[in-house]
Amino acid sequence: MSPSSLDELIDALRCLPGVGPKSAQRMAYHLLQRDQRGAQRLAAALDHALRVIRHCARCNTFTEDEICARCLSQKRDASTLCVVEMPADLNMLEQTHAYHGMYYVLMGRISPLDGIGPKELHLDKLLARATDGSVGEVILATNFTNEGEATAHYLGEMLRARGLKVSRIARGLPVGGEIEHTDAGTIAQALVERRTL
Amino acid sequence: MSGKQRIDDEPAFVLHSHAFKETSLLVEVLSRNHGRVALVARGARRPRAALRGLLIAFQPLDLGWFGQAEVRTLAKAEWQGGQPLLGGQALLCGYYVNELLLKLLPRDDPHPALFDAYQAALRGLSLGPPYQIVLRRFEMALLKELGYGLTLDLDADTGSAIIPGLNYAYIIERGPVRRDDGADQGIAIPGRVLLNMAANDWNHPETLSHGKVLMRSLIQHYLGNQTLQSRRVFVDLQDV
Ligand SMILES: [Zn+2]
Repeated sequence: MSPSSLDELIDALRCLPGVGPKSAQRMAYHLLQRDQRGAQRLAAALDHALRVIRHCARCNTFTEDEICARCLSQKRDASTLCVVEMPADLNMLEQTHAYHGMYYVLMGRISPLDGIGPKELHLDKLLARATDGSVGEVILATNFTNEGEATAHYLGEMLRARGLKVSRIARGLPVGGEIEHTDAGTIAQALVERRTL
Repeated sequence: MSGKQRIDDEPAFVLHSHAFKETSLLVEVLSRNHGRVALVARGARRPRAALRGLLIAFQPLDLGWFGQAEVRTLAKAEWQGGQPLLGGQALLCGYYVNELLLKLLPRDDPHPALFDAYQAALRGLSLGPPYQIVLRRFEMALLKELGYGLTLDLDADTGSAIIPGLNYAYIIERGPVRRDDGADQGIAIPGRVLLNMAANDWNHPETLSHGKVLMRSLIQHYLGNQTLQSRRVFVDLQDV
């Protein structure tokens, strides 16, 4: 007996992160029974996105063009390149209005125990971008997780070896943060990374 | 092992974790008295979860859990502190150590001495380079605790003491044998180096260079056909 189209749909939904068999079944029933129009829209949007969306040739984020609008902008400082893990991180940095340079989105992070290394992350594309002659400083804005730190370490070594100035975003207490209400790990690290006044 | 229902205040380290279901985390930990244990941290991936940012590798934690299935449920986690975060090469070494535990130590096999060796290794890594001595000491402790302890100070053929001035070949699962007895197999190691390794004295550069080759071969032997991802991933940065 071949799997029914319902089984096929449930199985396909399981490709979403965090979606197990039960949730997939719930979603499938919902789409088929309660929201067929929504389902059609989803199918069309997914199909369209898959056809038109690709990675920006320069910053690697999602775009419909060869080079995204941000990378083409004349108003941005082309001499700094900020490396982030995911597009959501880029959006967060943009919200600060504190950074006006260019970006590179890794679309992941090095995770040695999951077998994700420089090759799997296609870091050669970042190296090519960082050494294209326009970049003077690379700011590493990967997460302060072990994986984010490992990624920053690797990139730092590779980029410095190519003569680039490399910096890492600072970590410490949050703005408006009171020591009394901050987690001990953050305070411990803030002490380690204290600076001279 | 019986009486596994509820464990409280158990010293432990996270070795690795994976996303699990919608909002949970499946965490592999090394605990002092219960060995390697798999725990589900419910809701740990929610944006404001108290456990978020706490269940990270290389940080001493006090954990509580319950359940009798192979994967238990995390009930409580407290950050203990005192271990600086690892960065740079030390962090890569940390991944290597964690991967050894994940691949060579079976779950639910308590080894308090191995836990202590692991904690000492993390402390050593946080003190800065050179890292090789830290790794060799940990590897020796790991092999000993797993029952693969090495005899480095006795000739495997004759049972007599290793002589510093002679050359030996270390044959895996057998031990050191006299090299000039026509043996061209095994890993060539001078007697004095074997004795230094046996004494866990890694201060001499030649002990370190031979130790690295010996440990690499031994660990690959016990790993069988498993590949060490941490080593493969950092092939171009690796010098440990
Ligand atoms: Zn772009």
